[in-house]
Amino acid sequence: MTSAYTTLLNLASVLILLFAFACLGSKLFDRYVGYYAIQSVLLSVVAAIVAYDLDAPALWALAVLTLLIKGVGIPVATRRYLLARLSLKRDAAIALGLSTTLIIGAVLTGLAYFAMRPSTLPGRLLDTAAVPLAMAVVLLGGLCMVVRRHTIAQLLGWLIVENGVFLGAITLVATFPFIVEAGIFLDLVAGVLIMLALVSGLAQRLASASADDLRRLNG
Amino acid sequence: MTLTLSILAWALPLGGAIVPWAGARARGTAAATAAGGAGSLAAAIALAVRIVSGHPLKLLGGFIYVDSLSAFFVATVALVVTLAGLGSYAYLRAEEERGELSALQVRLYGTFFALFASLMLAALQTGNLGLLWVLVEASTLASAVLVALEARATSLEAAWKYIIISSFGVTIALVGTLFVYYSAILVHVSPDQRLTWPTLFAHASVLQAPSLRLAFLLVLVGYGTKVGLAPMHTWLPDAHSEAPSPASAMLSAALLNTGMYAIIRFQALTTPQLGRYANNVLLIFGFASLLVGALFMIGCGNFKRLFAYSSIEHMGIIAVALGFGGVLGFYGALLQTLTHAIGKSVLFLSGGEVVLRYRTRNASEVRGLLPLVPVTGLALLLGSLAILGSPPFGVFLSEFTIVRASFASQASWLGFFLLALLVIAFVAFSGTTVSMVFGTRPRGTASLSALPRRVGAVPLVAGLGLLLLLGLWIPGGLNELIMHAIKAMA
Repeated sequence: MTSAYTTLLNLASVLILLFAFACLGSKLFDRYVGYYAIQSVLLSVVAAIVAYDLDAPALWALAVLTLLIKGVGIPVATRRYLLARLSLKRDAAIALGLSTTLIIGAVLTGLAYFAMRPSTLPGRLLDTAAVPLAMAVVLLGGLCMVVRRHTIAQLLGWLIVENGVFLGAITLVATFPFIVEAGIFLDLVAGVLIMLALVSGLAQRLASASADDLRRLNG
Repeated sequence: MTLTLSILAWALPLGGAIVPWAGARARGTAAATAAGGAGSLAAAIALAVRIVSGHPLKLLGGFIYVDSLSAFFVATVALVVTLAGLGSYAYLRAEEERGELSALQVRLYGTFFALFASLMLAALQTGNLGLLWVLVEASTLASAVLVALEARATSLEAAWKYIIISSFGVTIALVGTLFVYYSAILVHVSPDQRLTWPTLFAHASVLQAPSLRLAFLLVLVGYGTKVGLAPMHTWLPDAHSEAPSPASAMLSAALLNTGMYAIIRFQALTTPQLGRYANNVLLIFGFASLLVGALFMIGCGNFKRLFAYSSIEHMGIIAVALGFGGVLGFYGALLQTLTHAIGKSVLFLSGGEVVLRYRTRNASEVRGLLPLVPVTGLALLLGSLAILGSPPFGVFLSEFTIVRASFASQASWLGFFLLALLVIAFVAFSGTTVSMVFGTRPRGTASLSALPRRVGAVPLVAGLGLLLLLGLWIPGGLNELIMHAIKAMA
């Protein structure tokens, strides 16, 4: 593990975290999707860096898959089939003010560092910051799902959580069996397809697919 | 031979996914679904017999791994699939005749019911914790389509809530799985094997304790979301009440058990390093679920939601039993898994016929079920008594075992707490269901044609018969299977 490698990995991970913050701080659906796309491209760069370092063909395949599916496929599908068709622009259904949300996000990032301190993680990974950063991305995605009430924002929040887990997976363990990684991808694609169908079904029934309208059931 | 049985057990239900695309309508789809379930059950029982008398099945470096614990859960889930498959017949025929379901909806039902069943049965038969995660998440996705099937605004809402909360939860379980992998970093085996349960279990005493502790918490919160442990249970009442009733039975009696199976696997990994840490965490979450389930049952007007809260309560009981641990606690937990699965299938399927007849889920609008449909009325009455733990049904025996386990543990006062919560649940639950059964029936109930009615009665009678049997006598083979599973985990 060379220092240039570690520097690159840390840089990409920090950028991934920044784009999670950007999602939290934006009110336009188009931006959410755009930031998610950039984050996913960065993630594929991380996968490529680790693949180059470990010389692992399976990880190269994952880097390409990430680029194609998360960086291009999901953003294009969301834009074309939801944002354009339902003419969604501004997210008005936010439970907390943007600045409060960002402060909570900062606290969660600190918490991720605290939880992933060296005593929890013995072994060789102490020289990369990627693991605590990945946990921070997971928490920020969760925060996005909680404070945003619109179904599309919740969907993107889940995708950010998933990106965080993926970042953790490739930096923490690097060599998950390929069949498992491929299965995770398959689940992600199927999940997004079903969620897109549900969101457009809800939009037809309720005129606006905001979770604020989802109040008939309380349990 | 063992491998063939294992493949048959998860592949046979897929017949229900193929038939509707070959042109079958409600009748053919339901017949294929029920037949697939029955075939899978037969294979699962044969598989259990072979595993108990021989060795665990381990192939492809542990990607296929069936021991007695898996075999027990596979048989339980296959039994539920069979009962729910039979229940699908009445549901699909009645809704098709009434024109409530289009041909496409019947196809979607057949396809996703089959995928849901097959994915759960496959998840129980893999030793690779990553693949387990993939299959559990996939079964969530398949079942979300079933919840949304009737395409009302409320069912779409319930499906959204279900898919977004469960997917988030299960993603947390994936983080936990990563940390389990990481905790095995000093175990010198190939990377694939660090995710394989039998390998991890064999090296459980050298796993890294700090990351293992973190991993178990993440896994419990993650898979606990699927199980419906409080406070991660909020999706459960909505999804169970909005799904078609046979699908509700599958969610409650099969999906929750699959999540619990995953938790049991991880619990077994923690014992050598962390001692009673996992037990204590399970006790806390279990009692929280018991409390939430019992309290929310009070004054719950929608009877399908009532059944759902009862599921939360029962999953709490199972978690508590695992928390008490020991042979007694573990035996009680596994027996409770089986008896709850049968009892809850009977309740949701009889509740399904009530929905078809009265067109409502509101318990106060349902009166006089016994004179209108004697079999369903009786099944609802006896099923309620059974699930609440009245003798002579099987749930009594399993809950009795768990209460005994609690008094045998160090914290015997928890046993009194458990009993008090069971009493609250009894009063709240039976008050609602008993008044549905008696009284004079309102006008304007729908009638069902003869065949769906008769087929619909089969799972109710069979389920109640099994519960009665398990209350009076535990077959030697089942006893041996459970004892074998306990030995494999200790």
